[in-house]
Amino acid sequence: MRADGQTVLFARRPNLRGEESAQRGLLPVLLGTLIAAVLALGCTNRPYADEESHEPILYVPYGEPPKTLDPAVAYSTADHVVTGKVYDTLLDYHYLKRPFELIGGLAEHVPEAEPLEGGRVRYQFRLREDLRFARDACFEEGPKDPARFTEDGARRVLATDFLFSLSRVADPAVGSPVVEPLSHIDGLVAWGERLAARRKNDAEFAKRRVSQQYQEIGALSGFEVLSDREFAITLHSPYPQILYWFAMPFTTPMAFEAVDYYTGEGGRPSLDEHAVGTGPFVLKRYDKRARIVLEKNPDWYGVRHPEWRAPAATFPSLEGVTGLSAANIEDFAPLAGRSLPMLTRIEMRREEETIPTFGKFMQGYYDTSGIARESFNRVVHEGGLSAEMAERGMRLEKSVVPAVFYLGFNMDDPVVGSAAGERSRLLRQAMSLVTNSEEYCRLFLNGRGLPAQSPLPPGLFGYEEDYKNPYRTLNFEEARRLLAQAGYPGGIDPKTKRPLKLTFDVADTSPESRVRFLFWTNQWRKLGINVELSATNYNKFQEKVRDGAYQIFQWGWVADYPDPENFLFLLTGPMARSASGGPNTANFSDPEFDALFGTMKTMENTEERLEVIRKMRAILERERPWIELFHPEEYALAHGWLRGVKPAGLSIATTKYYGVDAVAREQARREWNRPILWPAWVFLALLAGLIGPLIGRYLKERT
Amino acid sequence: MLSYILRRFAYGALVVLGVLVFLFFLFFAVATPDDIARRSVGEKATPAVIEQWKINHGYDRPLFPGPGHYKDNLFVRHMTSMLTFDLGRSDADGVPIKQRIAEGAGPSLALSVPLFFLELFVSVVVSLFVAFFRETYFDRIVLVFSVFSMSVSILLYIIGGQFLFGTVLRWFPLSGFDSSPSLLFRFLALPVLVGVFASVGSSIRFYRTVFLEEVHKDYVRTARAKGASELRIMLKHVLPNAMIPILTNVVMAIPFLFTGSLLLEAGFGIPGLGALTVEAINANDFSTLRAMVFIGSLLFVLGQVLTDIAYTIVDPRVTLE
Repeated sequence: MRADGQTVLFARRPNLRGEESAQRGLLPVLLGTLIAAVLALGCTNRPYADEESHEPILYVPYGEPPKTLDPAVAYSTADHVVTGKVYDTLLDYHYLKRPFELIGGLAEHVPEAEPLEGGRVRYQFRLREDLRFARDACFEEGPKDPARFTEDGARRVLATDFLFSLSRVADPAVGSPVVEPLSHIDGLVAWGERLAARRKNDAEFAKRRVSQQYQEIGALSGFEVLSDREFAITLHSPYPQILYWFAMPFTTPMAFEAVDYYTGEGGRPSLDEHAVGTGPFVLKRYDKRARIVLEKNPDWYGVRHPEWRAPAATFPSLEGVTGLSAANIEDFAPLAGRSLPMLTRIEMRREEETIPTFGKFMQGYYDTSGIARESFNRVVHEGGLSAEMAERGMRLEKSVVPAVFYLGFNMDDPVVGSAAGERSRLLRQAMSLVTNSEEYCRLFLNGRGLPAQSPLPPGLFGYEEDYKNPYRTLNFEEARRLLAQAGYPGGIDPKTKRPLKLTFDVADTSPESRVRFLFWTNQWRKLGINVELSATNYNKFQEKVRDGAYQIFQWGWVADYPDPENFLFLLTGPMARSASGGPNTANFSDPEFDALFGTMKTMENTEERLEVIRKMRAILERERPWIELFHPEEYALAHGWLRGVKPAGLSIATTKYYGVDAVAREQARREWNRPILWPAWVFLALLAGLIGPLIGRYLKERT
Repeated sequence: MLSYILRRFAYGALVVLGVLVFLFFLFFAVATPDDIARRSVGEKATPAVIEQWKINHGYDRPLFPGPGHYKDNLFVRHMTSMLTFDLGRSDADGVPIKQRIAEGAGPSLALSVPLFFLELFVSVVVSLFVAFFRETYFDRIVLVFSVFSMSVSILLYIIGGQFLFGTVLRWFPLSGFDSSPSLLFRFLALPVLVGVFASVGSSIRFYRTVFLEEVHKDYVRTARAKGASELRIMLKHVLPNAMIPILTNVVMAIPFLFTGSLLLEAGFGIPGLGALTVEAINANDFSTLRAMVFIGSLLFVLGQVLTDIAYTIVDPRVTLE
C-alpha cells in the first residue's frame, strides 16, 4: 500500500524479457478454448449413437440389474426383465384377455388334465415342430449329432431338454426357489435327494459334468419322454396351478450343452451371466450395471414360421376381448395379426435415479416410463393425462397390480393373537375398522392404489368387485364398541390402567417410511390404543420374525400366477412362519380355512370354487389376521410412437407385442432437443468483461 | 529413505490387518449368514433354498476357529482370502468381485482422472490469478463463488447441473455412460463439470492462502528487487515454493482416483467403483463392501507413503529417515 493509502496492484517493473506478452490473457483463452471444445464436440443431450435413430428399437430404462439369468433360479422382476425375453415357455398368457388366460407357447396347446388312479394327474405336452435354441458357442463344441442338430447347425429343442430343465430345478445344488410347487411332479424331490446323496458319497461322481451326473442318476418318474416332440408329466396329487409354472422361465427348455459349457470356469461366464434360450430375443450385450442389449432371434419359431400364426407369436385379434379402452382399441386394431416380435432390438439402459430417467423419457430418449413422484402432478391431472402430456402425444396406461399390501397380526402373540381368543379377535376387528387405506393411498401413493377388501386383487378368479368387507369400512363408533367389548374401554388396558400398548415392527428406519408407518399408528391412537413403532434394519427385523418377537407388521405379496391359491395359501397353517419358516408371517392357523383351501386349490374356476373362496373370505373377515390395505396401481407412460402396450401387472414378457414408429420418434427427438447455445457466449462475454479490465489495468500500470 | 519406506509399509500392513479384523467383526455382527442369504434370494425363498445359498457362498461354516475347524471357518477364510486378493463372489449376484472391480475401474478412472487434473488446473490457475489480482473485485467475486461452491451439497449440483445443462440448455445427456470413444466425452462432460464446480471452491481458497503466504516472503521481495516481473515471480518462484501443501492435497487423492466418486457416479449412472460401493450398501452385498473397504485401506496406506516420497522430490530440504 502506498503512503497515500492507495493500493498498488503491481510493482512497476520494466518489461525486460517480454515474456508476459506471450502469457497475457492465457486464462480466458484457455477457458474459451475449453468451452468452445465442449460445445463443438459434445453439444447434444442424445445418449445414443446417431446411427441408431431410425431402427425399430425399443429404448427402456431399468433400475435394478438382474441378479441371475439362470432360468431355474431367476425369480425377481429384475431377473425376468431379461429371462422373460430370451427364454420361451411351454405356455403363455393371452396378451389382451383379463382375467388372464393361458395359451400355447412352445407347446401347441394347453394340455388337459388326465386323472389317473391313486389321485394322480397327467398332462401331455406336444411341442411345435422345428423349435430351435438360439445360436451359441456352447453348441460348437464337439461333433453335431443329426438327432439334435438341424442341417444348418442349429440345436433342435427336444422333449429331453424339458426333462433336463426340470432336473435342474430338482438339483439341490442349483438352489431353485420353485422346488416346492414343482414337487407335485411325481418323484421330483426324491430324484434331487438321490442326486445329492450320490454327490456326497461319491467324490468322482461329483466331479463329472452335470449332464452326466443327471444321466447316471436315472429317470425322473413323473416325466415320460414320448417322442422328440412329446412328453407327459405326472403329478402325484391334483395341482391345476402347475400349468402356470409352465408359463414361467423356470421350466423353459434348457440345453445340457449350455449347462456343461457355461460353468463360470476357464474364462467362460456362468449361466447367471449368460443366456442360451429359445425366446423371441437373444442377449447380445450383457453389461448389467450399465447396458443390456437384446436382438430379435432369427431362430425363434415365430420369426421362422410366421405363416403358422401361432397364438404366442402373433398380435392377437380383438375378438372376444373385453375391457379395452377406446384408445387401446384404436392402438391395437391395426396390429392384430402382425407377426412378432415387431422390434429388431431392445436397448436397456441402467438408470438408478428417477429424475434423470423421467427427464430422458420427456426428451424422447426412452419410450416408456413410470412416473416419478416429483413429476406426478405434472403428468397426471384428475386421474388422466395432463394437457401438457397429451399434447406431446403420450399415453397413460393404468393397471392394478395383482398384489396385496397388508398389516398383519402375529397370531402367536398372547395379546393380539389367537391365544387371547374372542378378546383379541374383537381387538383386531376394531383396529381394522379404523385403518383408512384410501387416505393412505391418496397421501402417500398419489392415489395409485385400490383399497383392498380381501387378499384377492382384481383380475383374479374369486375377486368380487361388489364385495365390501364390513371390517374394512371406516367406523369409529363400532370400533370403540368392539374395543370396549374386548375389555379395553377407551383403549385402556385394565391391567395397567393405561392405554393398551402394542408394538408395530417395521424393517425400515428411513424418515420417509417412518411418516408412512406413523399414519397407521395415529389412526389406532384415535381409539386410545398406544401402538409404538419399532423400526429396525432389515436383518434385525428378520431376527424378530424368526424369534416370534413381533405383534404387528406390514408386508406385501405379488402374485406368481393369476390364481387365488397363490394368495390364500399365505394364510394356511402349514405355511406358518413359526411352524415351517413359510410365508405365513401372521402364523394364522384355522383348521376350517385349511380344509377349505385344500378343496379350493384343486378345483377348476367354477361357481363351486367361488363359493369355497367366499367361505374362506368370511373366515378371514371374522378372524382378521390381516388388515388388507391396498392393491397397488401401476401407471405407465408411453410415447405415442410406441404401439401395442398393455401392462400386465404380472411379471410376464410382453415386449414382443410392442411396435415402434421410429421415424415419428426421431422427428420428436430432434424437435424436443435442439441445444440452446447463446448462454455459452454470454458466459464467455461476462468472463472476458470481468478479466479484461484487470489485465488492461495491469498493462497500463506496467507502462 | 528405503528403510523409512519399508518401515512405513510395515506400519501400513499392521493398519490393514487391523482393518480386516475390524471388518470381520463389524459385518458379521450386523448380519448373520441367514440374513445375508435371505436378502439375496428374496422373501419368497424356502429355508432349503437359503441353506443351499449359504453352502454355495461358503457361509455354512462356523464363525471362528474351533476343534475340527481350525482352518475351515469364516474368520480364517476372510483373512486369508483378502490377504491373497481372492476377493470371492458378490453376495448379491454371485459374480466374482475381482471381475466387478475390473469392470468398474475403467469408468471410474474415465471420470476421476480428467476430473482430478481439471480441478487441479482450474484451482491452481484461478488461485494464482486471484493472488495476483488480490484485493480486487475479481478476488471478491471468486471468494463468493468459492464459499458458494463449498457450502452447497454436491447432490444439489448434480440435480441442478442435470436440469440446467441436460434439460434446459440440452448440451449434455442427463446421465449414463458409454465407453465408445464417440460417446465417452458426451457422457463425461457434465459429471466432470459438476465435479469441478463442487470441489474447486475449497481448493481455490486453500491455494490462494498458500500463495499469499509465499507472496509476502523475503525471496519474493528479493526477486522483485532483481527486476523480475510479477508474472515470472508467481510462476517461477511462488508456485514451486507452494508445492508442498498442494502436493499433500494432491498426492493423497491420487490412489483414490481408482475407487471413483460415490455420489457423482451414482448420480450420473456411471458404472464405476464408487457406484459399485453405493449399490453394495443398498443391496446388503457385504462381500463386495468388505472388498471395497479393504482396497480403500490399502490405497490409504499407499497414499501416505507416496505423499512422503513426494515431499522429498519437491523440497530438497526434506529427507526421509
